[in-house]
Amino acid sequence: MIGVYRALAVQQIQIMLQYRVATFLYALFSFVRPIIFLAAWLSVAASQGGRLGSFQRSDLAAYYALSILVTHLTTSFDFFEFEWEVRQGRLSPKLLRPLHPLHYAIVNNVLWKVVTAAMVIPVAVLVALTFGARFHVGPIDIVLGTVSVVLGAALSFVFGWVVASAAFWTTRVQALVHFYQRTAFIFAGQIAPLALLPGPLSAIAYALPFGYMLGVPTDILRGAHDVTTSLLLIAAQAVWLLVAAVLYRIVWNAGLREYSAVGA
Amino acid sequence: MRRYLRLLALFARTELQFALEYRVNLLLEIGQMLIVVVTSVGAVLILYAYTQAMNGWTLEQMIVLLGVYYIVQGVEELVLQPSFERFMEHVREGTLDFILLKPISSQFMVSFRHFQTVQTLQVLVGVAITVYGVARLAAVVTPATALAFAVTLVCGFVLIYALLLVLSTFAFWFVRVDNLLAIFWAFIDAGRFPIDIYPGWLRVTMSTVVPVGIAVTVPAKAIVGLVDAPTLAAVVAATVIAWVVSRAFWKIGVRSYTGASA
Amino acid sequence: MTELVVDVHDLTKVYRVHERSEGLSATLRSVVRRSFREITAVSGISFGVEAGEVVGFLGPNGAGKTTTLKMLSGLLYPTSGEARVIGHVPWRREDGFLRGIALLMGNRTQLVWDIAAADSLRVLQEIYGLPEERYRSTLRELTELLDLGPLLGKPVRNLSLGERMKVEFAAGLIHSPRVAFLDEPTLGLDVSMQSRIRGFVAEHNRRSGTTILLTSHYMDDIVALCKRVIVIHHGHLLYDGPLGELAQRMAPYKVITVTLHDGAGSAFLDELGTVVSREQGVVVLRVPRESVAERTARIVRDLEGSLADISVEDPAIEDVIDRVFAGAAVPPRS
Repeated sequence: MIGVYRALAVQQIQIMLQYRVATFLYALFSFVRPIIFLAAWLSVAASQGGRLGSFQRSDLAAYYALSILVTHLTTSFDFFEFEWEVRQGRLSPKLLRPLHPLHYAIVNNVLWKVVTAAMVIPVAVLVALTFGARFHVGPIDIVLGTVSVVLGAALSFVFGWVVASAAFWTTRVQALVHFYQRTAFIFAGQIAPLALLPGPLSAIAYALPFGYMLGVPTDILRGAHDVTTSLLLIAAQAVWLLVAAVLYRIVWNAGLREYSAVGA
Repeated sequence: MRRYLRLLALFARTELQFALEYRVNLLLEIGQMLIVVVTSVGAVLILYAYTQAMNGWTLEQMIVLLGVYYIVQGVEELVLQPSFERFMEHVREGTLDFILLKPISSQFMVSFRHFQTVQTLQVLVGVAITVYGVARLAAVVTPATALAFAVTLVCGFVLIYALLLVLSTFAFWFVRVDNLLAIFWAFIDAGRFPIDIYPGWLRVTMSTVVPVGIAVTVPAKAIVGLVDAPTLAAVVAATVIAWVVSRAFWKIGVRSYTGASA
Repeated sequence: MTELVVDVHDLTKVYRVHERSEGLSATLRSVVRRSFREITAVSGISFGVEAGEVVGFLGPNGAGKTTTLKMLSGLLYPTSGEARVIGHVPWRREDGFLRGIALLMGNRTQLVWDIAAADSLRVLQEIYGLPEERYRSTLRELTELLDLGPLLGKPVRNLSLGERMKVEFAAGLIHSPRVAFLDEPTLGLDVSMQSRIRGFVAEHNRRSGTTILLTSHYMDDIVALCKRVIVIHHGHLLYDGPLGELAQRMAPYKVITVTLHDGAGSAFLDELGTVVSREQGVVVLRVPRESVAERTARIVRDLEGSLADISVEDPAIEDVIDRVFAGAAVPPRS
């Protein structure tokens, strides 16, 4: 298995080298939006004497600086390529190989994140410095935060594939993806840290999977939660991951039946 | 001039016919747009749940700004984006020749040939939001500020158009410039908030390099009388300069393409 | 002497190509100091075309045909030389010039992919400012000649290549140009569609008197349409004249086909010329033009008994062209 991954990785690196400009440009989208909303929240905080609930300005900066990194590490972006593969019949040769198509995507996903981290990490550091972020982080937060980020990335990846599998049935995956991403926009922790979502929105966010892909790992990583809370949230992530995995298996198998029935 | 307007109407009409043939797609796109608007307005409301004013911007002013943002982005996605994307395709595939051989301004053909008619809705939504915001600000709006609003809005369109034209013109020398445009799309997102909330470097970028800040923020300020005459004059002057420069650059691009200046 | 529709003097186009070497260091160096190589695509060609003529441009890929057409249609500035097309200098792209010409390219489309061809034609009507009446009558005529009826309402992307080319012709000729430049108009089409397009071009030329300059890979196009051909090779004009005299002028040999009753004397033929093929008693010989009479006489005399048939012909145009482009034939400069 390691050999297979290495071979796929080599191939993927060559592709990325060929499209190096585009490769790095997509990483732009990891940090533009967090910076926008950080600026917005800071000016809201400024009008309230520099404090919003449990958040001081430095906490907001810490949240969004880290969320640049976490956004980057937990994005999933396979929807459109998968739809294209299904429509063009490119999926068929892949299905004939003794390797689940997901593995290609995993290599692709991990590799892209590692390579473009070279651009994203300096930006995150720069944002943390210029906006005066302060972290209250112990070693335990880093360990738990790392676990949470990995779970968040896996959750986002698998959920992304559940959505992408719609391509088996419809050529309009784009609309579905859009709806998925806009829901995430509200509830994942992009427009506000989960704790700052007003009224019932915060509770809804904790009940939906989106927050566990971005807001939760970011909060744990910046040391916002005590160990018990962190562990509970990580458990919730694990539960969601399990749900997503089961969902994916069901959707994928049903999709394959559909795909072979149509005979693409 | 009349011929150009008639052509514009013809371009829009044919593409509208095309869009109407794919009704499901159309409905889905309308749905998507409404989701975007609802979530964006939602984002603003969430911020204003904690404050009366952001950097002096009241909720009403912010609503006007959001409306202007959708008007500007809507116009851009309605015609400029599809047209310029097709232009780059023309350069890649050599079909630009056909456009250069038409007895009509090639700049016009390249800039306004293609429409994503569904984006008209985004413009309309933007207008509706703006009107709603302005109505709530009715007390401070005067004929003078309304005029200033109209002038700065037009300037905003022209500034963004000029930038897109310059970026697209690079296609004559570098075949793949889609990437330059991708940077622009990433930045235009930042126009949804007033540029004065951003730190210095971003504010400078958004008022010079990517003028979406000016295009959105300045009209929204103008309507409540927050743009003084010198600023207005400066914006108009910058617009004229941007227009002249971008047009000259386009002509250089065409000359280079046809080997007149190689 | 009628006025020339196309009048070309010493037209030359030299491209400056940025030389790129392999390897990172070479690439970095070339950023600082670019080295250019000059490529002469068209070298001092001159010719004139009268109204209503159909002229074929012949030459292998890279000969300079397309570059010439692009200069004449105003898409490229020449490096030197002069040209006038319908009285205009093409590369100034004046309004009156653009309204009087058309360029069609077999491998490229000017139609918008997603919308119906009829809509693209409407846009062209508006661009050229064609009065409704004239637009309709031109379209009616084109529809009849090209059998466009069922095609105009469909989105272009649903048309087959051949159908698309027909619509392409309609789009190119809707403004009734005086000169049409056709660059490989039958490229990639199947044989029957090629001949339909040919038929259309000939008929359109006959009816409207449009002057046509045509390049094609397919000799059949040229033979069917062009009384006159211009041969270009490595940017030089090698031949300009009637198609019928091309072989005579360009090929310094003729082809003698000898049919024998038996194999006897077939070795003797090797001394008389270059044997091109030899099968089942039929021997094809290539013989220098000036000695054709003498060699034929010798064959008749010496093979008397075994000779069943003998014929002397000009070589096929394709063979002549192939040999010219392979550098085998010596072009006589007139």
